Amino acid sequence: MNSQTAPATIRGPSANLGRYFRNRTLVTGIALALFVLLPSFLGGLIYGRDPYELHLGQQLLAPSGEFPLGTDSLGRDVLALVFDGGRATLIVALPAAALAFVVGLLYGLASAIGPAWLDRVLMRTLDTFLALPSLVVLIFFASMITLTNTTLIMLIGFISWASLARLVRNEAIAQRGRDFVLAAEQLGGGRWYVARVHLIRVMAPILAVNGTFLIGDSIFALSALSFLGLGVQPPQASWGSLLDSALDIIALDPWWLLLGPGVMIFAALLASSLIGQGLNARFGARS
Amino acid sequence: MSAALELDRLSVALRRSGRDMSVLDELSLTIAPGEMQALVGESGSGKSIAALSILGLLPRGAKVTGSIRLAGKELVGLSENGLRDMRGRDVGMIFQNPLSALNPSRTIGAQIAEAYTVHHRSAPKAEVAARVHELMTRVRLEPAAERARQYPHEFSGGMRQRAMIAMALANGPKLLIADEPTTGLDPVVAGEVMDLIGELKRAGMAILFVTHDLSVVERHADRIHVLYAGKSAEWGPARTVLAAPRHPYTEALLNSVPRLGAERLRGIQGNLPEPEQRPSGCRFRTRCRLAYEDCAKVPPATTFQDDTALCWLPLDDAARATIQAEEVVAAHPPLAKGQLLTLDHVAVRYERPFGSFAKRAERDQLAEISFSVGRGECMGVVGSSGSGKSTLGRAILQMVQYRGDITLDGVSFTGLRGEARSAARRRIQVVFQDPKESLNPRLTVGQSIGEALRLGGLRDWGAIRERTAELLGSVSLPAAIAEAIPSGISGGQAQRVAIARALAADPEVIVLDEPTASLDVSTQATLLNLLKDLGRAKGLSYILISHDLAVVSYLADRIMVLQDGRAVEFGTSQSVLHSPSTDYTRRLVGAAAHVPAAV
Amino acid sequence: MLRTLFTRGSASFLSIALLITMVFIMAHLPPGGPAFSILGVKATPASVAAINSRLGLSIPLWQQYLIWWGHLLTGNLGNSYLLNRPVAQILGSYFVNTIAFYTISILVSVAASIGLGLVQGVYYGRWPARVIDFYQLAFYALPGFLVGTVLIMFFSVRLGWLPASGIVDVRDISPGIGSFAAHLVLPVTTVALLTTASLSRYFGEAVHEELGKEYVRTAAAKGVSFSAILFKHVLRNALRPLITILGLSFPYIFTGGVTVETVFDYPGLGWLMWRSALERDYPVVIAIVLIIGVLTVLGNFLADVVNGLLDPRASYE
Repeated sequence: MNSQTAPATIRGPSANLGRYFRNRTLVTGIALALFVLLPSFLGGLIYGRDPYELHLGQQLLAPSGEFPLGTDSLGRDVLALVFDGGRATLIVALPAAALAFVVGLLYGLASAIGPAWLDRVLMRTLDTFLALPSLVVLIFFASMITLTNTTLIMLIGFISWASLARLVRNEAIAQRGRDFVLAAEQLGGGRWYVARVHLIRVMAPILAVNGTFLIGDSIFALSALSFLGLGVQPPQASWGSLLDSALDIIALDPWWLLLGPGVMIFAALLASSLIGQGLNARFGARS
Repeated sequence: MSAALELDRLSVALRRSGRDMSVLDELSLTIAPGEMQALVGESGSGKSIAALSILGLLPRGAKVTGSIRLAGKELVGLSENGLRDMRGRDVGMIFQNPLSALNPSRTIGAQIAEAYTVHHRSAPKAEVAARVHELMTRVRLEPAAERARQYPHEFSGGMRQRAMIAMALANGPKLLIADEPTTGLDPVVAGEVMDLIGELKRAGMAILFVTHDLSVVERHADRIHVLYAGKSAEWGPARTVLAAPRHPYTEALLNSVPRLGAERLRGIQGNLPEPEQRPSGCRFRTRCRLAYEDCAKVPPATTFQDDTALCWLPLDDAARATIQAEEVVAAHPPLAKGQLLTLDHVAVRYERPFGSFAKRAERDQLAEISFSVGRGECMGVVGSSGSGKSTLGRAILQMVQYRGDITLDGVSFTGLRGEARSAARRRIQVVFQDPKESLNPRLTVGQSIGEALRLGGLRDWGAIRERTAELLGSVSLPAAIAEAIPSGISGGQAQRVAIARALAADPEVIVLDEPTASLDVSTQATLLNLLKDLGRAKGLSYILISHDLAVVSYLADRIMVLQDGRAVEFGTSQSVLHSPSTDYTRRLVGAAAHVPAAV
Repeated sequence: MLRTLFTRGSASFLSIALLITMVFIMAHLPPGGPAFSILGVKATPASVAAINSRLGLSIPLWQQYLIWWGHLLTGNLGNSYLLNRPVAQILGSYFVNTIAFYTISILVSVAASIGLGLVQGVYYGRWPARVIDFYQLAFYALPGFLVGTVLIMFFSVRLGWLPASGIVDVRDISPGIGSFAAHLVLPVTTVALLTTASLSRYFGEAVHEELGKEYVRTAAAKGVSFSAILFKHVLRNALRPLITILGLSFPYIFTGGVTVETVFDYPGLGWLMWRSALERDYPVVIAIVLIIGVLTVLGNFLADVVNGLLDPRASYE
């Protein structure tokens, strides 16, 4: 019998095939992450060229043997700039993500296990904060402070933790009413004990997944700010600022100036997304 | 008279993980108009697949061989259009779980109307409306006009199921397939639904009733067909099969159902085998008490008085008597003196689990309950959903805020704080309804039990491991199961783990909140026996909460009946069951499964 | 229904009030205040004090807070440092441009998302869904400013089909609708590509989930055809989360939109905010932050209302 009834009564299982695909997701993501990390931190050392050296008379050259990614309007080696820009971007974005993760986790947990009034206050504040688009707030603050690596880390960390906090709090609340948590309490477990042993364990997959997304968000935020001139400050190059200078002279069709930073940003964000998805699938469906 | 439905050596194989898995093996049965055929088996026996294959609603990649004839017309190999024509018009189907089986964002009236308009496309609106009205009146959903405008979530479980029946009847089908329609419904409501189905049968409809619980079909089934692991075990007239079952599996199923007044439940050890692990020959032999070497070969069919069984040793009266005589009936211990747990005017306004969003209730969910439980005594709490019985359990466990006083062994919970409160709570443990939910899915069995022991002060790894093995042994589980995670064990095994964990705290009282509701009938029986034995051995007091009076009566010394948060009946099991004083209790008693009268 | 409207409405008012307070706090958070940023390294205590008194920043905080509220309620959004004109006057046309831009973008995105989501849900696990999966994945990783720049490079510079920036051709004395439309195509496409990627993902998941639900099986058992099941049953239930998601996505849409406006030099609020931020023209920046915040809250509220209309269960919340 040929059953074309797509509204299947039983979901088509694709366990084996799916697992293979999922593993590939994770593996691809990790590969991309390395593709971004290694050049950014080791590329400059290996390649050897000074990114800020001005090769006069050799401005705006398309890629060639001497300059693999060509030169920009000031005669600087684009490949070297991409390496250095990567380093500059990542040494801010990665710590910012870590900061956001820790703060978000604690905030969300406190809201979930604390007294009801605390939850209301914290969440109201959070919601109001989340109503503002992140980039708008970033621009707002960036215009008021001196922009150094440290202040940028704090700024981006300060903005990103909000969505994680809400997620943690919602998830923790959903999980804490579950029978096994109640059973643990009945056996004598206190609130923080339960949070530590049971809640975090059960939430671990979600934390891992969203933690990875957080890294992508950080990189995006920093690149956007730099693109707008409110992030990493010149003369230090960063992926965002390289794109900005490319846009300035877009009429000259400088595709090689877009290629380097574009591919890097794409790879970094894609890596974060794939690793997150790969982890998500690895940990299985909702436990 | 020609048969309404004829299945001839129907076999179904599903595609799982790239391989074909046989889930139904040569099922043959016939249903005449006005006859109800019950298709009985545990979950995974293939009964639901059989029902779905009639309608052609199997998942992609399913292979069907054999023949399905509906009023003479062959359904196997029919085109999708042909099947769609047939669905809802010649065959109506109702499912388990009517809440999720109905579209939440369309009115009941619209959904019933759709059942009609799908097969009568050009019917004018007035005709459709009239038909909907007629159908709703038929299933007693009145006032029809008002009910038709309501949404599924505004209906009770019983009403939703009746709406499903109305949809199934819309085009006057010759066959009604019912797949576990009463599972999850309260016994009283389930009885009403069964009565309605019985009426339909008497009006001439053929009915295929799929279920895991024989007691549900006792009153209305004409024929019974028992399935085990995809293969037929026994089939014949209901009367004969029920009174004198010839296949050991059927006999065991019958004796797993808790009945009022029954002294002992038997249950069936082990679990239904996965398709890859089916034993050769007779598939039941690994769980059968009478299995011997010949059972490794496919058993022949033997018929006696129209009742056919596939077994090497079909039971006769003598064999049945021997089995039943083997059961040792333990004497009822005298009621313990002394009051261990006392409730004094306990009331709960609304449940506030762990903080935040409480649902404001207009009146008390639980109104002023007072009673005492002695050491070693089992107190049964019975009522339908919403009666407050679960809330009562949670109040005793100190999981919700309540007014009034609860005292354990002379010490009241009011005023207890910190360490003392924690220690007191430990003496009252809990077993929840859903065994998989009550265990942390990311901890192994051993870790869950170990945690219970550690919270009780045990620190030494070796001692913990030893004690864990002991506890697992006391619930008849192998020590090796400590390495498994909850998703890797069966529901029955998980529930035993939950019991072992509760015992790890050395409690004096255990609150059992619908402990067997999620389990198959056969597993339920084994578990109830386990609880009974453990209770007697360790002198545990139980608070047994259930909507099934038969389950409660099997274990409880005294019974309290709750209705809308109030205690409407209270007394010893005997008195409540045999001389109930309220209408409500009478109805509950009437709806519960009874010991069948001798044929 | 009316009651829920009232409660949600007042909740929104409360949110806006909190928002205004929060912006006030944020504006005063950075140490030294705006004075330092304006003066930079040339700051001396005297010049800082001078600027502070000129800006009215030297009076106690709580007084400033009340004055702030007073100004807002009378529509006074301060004066631009740069242009020395009331901010409220300046914002007018930028506001309209932004509204037009986002409305069109959102409409396009929703339509595209529904289409893609349906395909993705129905063909789950098969190649059409995989293709859409890939698109969604790719565009999560492509920021707006990158996509916009690339689109300009291809369609403006190389092919010359569409203009690269601005809202109308500066040489046009009386631009017609066609000119406006042409200038909107690339920006809207950029935002739509991004927004659709995430919206269609949610919708696709929702459709797939609904298709696995039991009421679908019931409908099939009644003999309902697959397309009827899809459009009469599944769509209604799957759309519900989409509306909510859309409401919640406004902050992200704005984030994407700001950079797109700057890439295309489109004179909207985002563009203005950027330029004002670079010039340290705080009153403008603060005003725009407020407006965008209010718009987001209103967007959420609207989504709630639409949701309530669609879901019969919402009134039981």
